[in-house]
Amino acid sequence: MLLEKIQDIRNEFRKEFPSIKNAADLENLRIKYLSRNGLVSSLFDEMKNVSREERPSAGKELNSLRDEINAGFLQLKEKFSKEESKEKVLIDPTLPGRIVNYGSTHILTKTLEDIKAVFKGLGFSVYEGPELESDYYNFEALNFQPDHPARDMQDTFFVSKDFLLRTHTSPVQIRVMEKMKPPVRAIMPGRVYRNEAVSARSYCMFHQVEGLYIDTDVTFAELKGTLVSFAEQFYGEGLKYRFRASYFPFTEPSAEMDISCYICKGAGCRVCKFSGWIEILGCGMVDPNVLKYVGYDPEKYTGYAFGMGIERTTMNKYGIHDIRLFFENDIRFLKQF
Amino acid sequence: MKVSLNWLKTLVDIKDIPADEIIQKLTMAGLEVESVDDETSKYKDFIVGLVTSKQKHPNADKLSLCTVSDGRAEFQVICGAPNVDAGQKVVFAPIGSIIPNGKFKITKAKIRGTESFGMICSEAELELSDDHTGIIVLPEDKIPGQPITEALGLNDIILEIGITPNRPDALSHIGVARDIAAIFNRLVQIPEVNLIESDKKCTDYASVEIEDPVNCPRYSAKVLLNIKVEESPEWLKERIKRIGLRPINNIVDITNFVMYETGQPLHAFDLDNLSGKKIIVRSTPGKSEFVTLDSKVRELPKDTLLICDAERAVAVAGVMGGENSEITGSTKNILIESAYFNPSSIRRTSKYLSFSTDASYRFERGTDPGNTVYAAERAAAIIKEISGGEILQGVIDIYPEKIKSVELTLRYARINKILGYSIDKEKVKNILIALGMVLQTETTENLTVSVPVSRPDIEREIDLIEEVARIDGYDNIPDVKKVTITLGEKNDESSFASQVREIASGLGCYEMINNPLQSEMLAAMTGEPINLLNPLSGDMAYLRTSLIPGALAVVRKNINSGENNLSLFEIGNVFNKKVSEEIKSFEDFEEKPRLLFLLSGKMSEKTWDQTEKVYDFFSLKGLINAFLLQISLDNVLNDLYYQGQNRIFDLTFSKSLGKSSIGEGGRVKKEILKQFDIEQDVYAFEFDFDALKSIEKIQKRYSEPLRFPKIIRDFAFIFDSNTTFGEVKEFISKSGSGLLKSVEIFDIFISGSLGDNKKSMAFTLEFFDSNRTLTEDEVEKEFNSLISLVTKKFNAKLRGI
Ligand SMILES: [Zn+2]
Repeated sequence: MLLEKIQDIRNEFRKEFPSIKNAADLENLRIKYLSRNGLVSSLFDEMKNVSREERPSAGKELNSLRDEINAGFLQLKEKFSKEESKEKVLIDPTLPGRIVNYGSTHILTKTLEDIKAVFKGLGFSVYEGPELESDYYNFEALNFQPDHPARDMQDTFFVSKDFLLRTHTSPVQIRVMEKMKPPVRAIMPGRVYRNEAVSARSYCMFHQVEGLYIDTDVTFAELKGTLVSFAEQFYGEGLKYRFRASYFPFTEPSAEMDISCYICKGAGCRVCKFSGWIEILGCGMVDPNVLKYVGYDPEKYTGYAFGMGIERTTMNKYGIHDIRLFFENDIRFLKQF
Repeated sequence: MKVSLNWLKTLVDIKDIPADEIIQKLTMAGLEVESVDDETSKYKDFIVGLVTSKQKHPNADKLSLCTVSDGRAEFQVICGAPNVDAGQKVVFAPIGSIIPNGKFKITKAKIRGTESFGMICSEAELELSDDHTGIIVLPEDKIPGQPITEALGLNDIILEIGITPNRPDALSHIGVARDIAAIFNRLVQIPEVNLIESDKKCTDYASVEIEDPVNCPRYSAKVLLNIKVEESPEWLKERIKRIGLRPINNIVDITNFVMYETGQPLHAFDLDNLSGKKIIVRSTPGKSEFVTLDSKVRELPKDTLLICDAERAVAVAGVMGGENSEITGSTKNILIESAYFNPSSIRRTSKYLSFSTDASYRFERGTDPGNTVYAAERAAAIIKEISGGEILQGVIDIYPEKIKSVELTLRYARINKILGYSIDKEKVKNILIALGMVLQTETTENLTVSVPVSRPDIEREIDLIEEVARIDGYDNIPDVKKVTITLGEKNDESSFASQVREIASGLGCYEMINNPLQSEMLAAMTGEPINLLNPLSGDMAYLRTSLIPGALAVVRKNINSGENNLSLFEIGNVFNKKVSEEIKSFEDFEEKPRLLFLLSGKMSEKTWDQTEKVYDFFSLKGLINAFLLQISLDNVLNDLYYQGQNRIFDLTFSKSLGKSSIGEGGRVKKEILKQFDIEQDVYAFEFDFDALKSIEKIQKRYSEPLRFPKIIRDFAFIFDSNTTFGEVKEFISKSGSGLLKSVEIFDIFISGSLGDNKKSMAFTLEFFDSNRTLTEDEVEKEFNSLISLVTKKFNAKLRGI
């Protein structure tokens, strides 16, 4: 009995199979033969009614039928799924990519890191010092005499008679020299304050990098060479530069370093105030009085120091016209860098 | 300071040197020319015009319709000045001229329906003075068409020079001329004084006494009788105007002229108003009052140097004159003061009064004590020449102790040691002599000079080296590019901060830099703030005590501009006062760096494939943990959670090392946000940056990937709703054997169907051994034991496995 049924179903399947043309037909075929309530399953159910003698041959036939239908099904399934991906475009690649959140360091940080990288390459260490300083470190030990108009060069915020917000990073020079014996070669970045009205060109707080090199044979010629190679690495080759005499109480001789305007190439523009030159830093040979203050013998040791403003440098380099933008922390500004 | 090149040319012969070269060399030598006003190019377009006719403008009462001739053609010009009239010679700006005041270009214009082809100028428009009440009417003899540079002698070049505080000697035309002479190897020609004195002796008409010779080392005076106070002659007014001063009367103008020529401030007193015909220089014994020239009563502190007559104070020495002795139109007899005052004394007074004049500016930097008599005589001679009168014989000159000039020795070898190149010895000598030094002795190794008392900045050998270097020109110093290797430790104290900045930005945060100066309201929110004695304004009067208030202000500003979604960080110092009194030492306050993270708004907007995600407490926690992992501080710090009991946060978590907290953060309280007008949630976390920096970081070691399979088991329990994930996790981890390697939560479910105040938490447990494959049995055994332990410990009910 069962053997006949098996044969009937096999015939039916073989007749039906070639007419399967798409995935939907195939799904109907699967439901009809292979599902839980399908024909193959119902034949297995009938096995329990088959006599002991018939059982081995019926089982064998039934297994072979199931394998045949399964194989046929899988073969068509693979064929249709391949065709399907050829016909239908499921993915629209023009959709936007998934969002990845990212941040950035402040543009002033980036400038400072660039400056640090150059000087570290030249063998300089990096030191830091406090922003709330004593008059001694900020002025006195840097050879600013009491009641001297040189103090007017830096309008100062005081918190008490003898304590103030440092007006420059130069006090860190003193701190470093007090701690160490020559040779000393270091840069000292930091935040400084000036009691100046806030405008697009000036802010009451800004950042500087100070540099210092003290040894037995440090000369002005070496100061020039070092700063020129800094400028070449930082601003690019091919610029002209000049050192002109200036005055700082803690250096003697003192100089200001200008580079030819990289915006107009010296022809004159607003950035360089039509002079063709941009002032980038102040520098000089460390004044013997300063060396005496920290206990270095000025006959034996000489050295140079320099200092530059980070904001001015950044404004020139990135075309930022208003210094206040750095400290407003408008996310639309921060996201640009 | 404004310097006239024409004036300089009277003092040093530089006619053959192009102005550009003078400007460039002065700048290089330290007298920085900050701007140049070249009259020849500024006024090149302007010509003399003749007004040939004047009518009223047909459509405007206050305007005139004029015809102006340039000698060849006539132009119709509309003019608004009340004083314009036919027949006048005027300054005419043809089309294309650029008006100096306002820098605008004259074009053909239609004014009230009538065309105008040019402009008739006022002094203000030409920046000749600030007089804009009417047009300039030129003398009859000017010829139409003549360039006004020629007609008015506008051929000067005015230099604005920034004089550094060490160079008081350069605050005059003679001082600048001396540098020019040294640079170009020329001679300075000091104007000769041609004194014609009467036979009356000045000491019979006035006397001077110095009671405080420390603050007034020298006081010189000349006396003149029967002078006439009147308007200055043209040449003097022109000189005065070029350097930016307003002509007042001949006496004042001459004292100003001599000050700008020699650097010596002068003051003229009305001799008839000096009681007892006497000058006494003394310091105030205590507080006192004084009526100044501007009719204000000013209070003076103790030890203010005063100029007095026999009865009363007549001037605050070096700073300002008094009403009672000033020169008036009826003044006949005058005493000209030419003194040297102690610079610190004048500076203290000027600072105290917040009052600075051209005179006090020079005195506080240090004038030339050797030059007082010359300046007084120079002024007297010009006054007599211009306003008549008689110069009394002799000079009053009280100089109790002569200020000696310094002698300095310069070693040639030292020049090389400092500058790195050698300068020809002859050149060194010439430069120093040109700058006014007097050669004393000379050897092959060094030379000794005496320094003029006009150069208080030259006190040491190094100062002479600077003089030589700057006059020779820094351009002559070679640039030596060498890198000497310094053996020894290279240090970078900022490297950890740099690393943290990179990590924080990599984790999606933008770096802020906030001004540490803020209002008391913000600063007092989080600590004991330090105030500035002299703030710019109330909102920048205190130092921040935490990075949080400043960051909240940034959140507010960004929300105002429509930017609600913020992920920010900052590294910066905060300041806290440790004493109630004034700060006297570094022990009285604390300055410490902090690191702040802040999240607010949405982490991501709704997109085509996902819904929006909003920052919450767990975003902050995830960020902080990811950050600590990156700086190798994961598994080192303990977490602590609490609600309430915090100034800033209502849901707080903190990180601590042992018992000491190194940072805390959480959800910012609503009442704090309200002060900033912020309505959305803000999550922030602030670290003690020094603590973070100083904790020893775990040295990362490589570990082999697992070679044996893990076995994963899940279970879910129903707990009382106040049971936390943290405590269950800790209990399971502690109760497990060494095979249990991780416990994580993958589902939380709260529903009434679980019973009142119940919640379900589902955990994934990971078991493995890195040396062998585990058997199902041993894991099953441990898993079952954990089920019963958890059930018992938390009174929990197993919900599924
Ligand atoms: Zn330029």
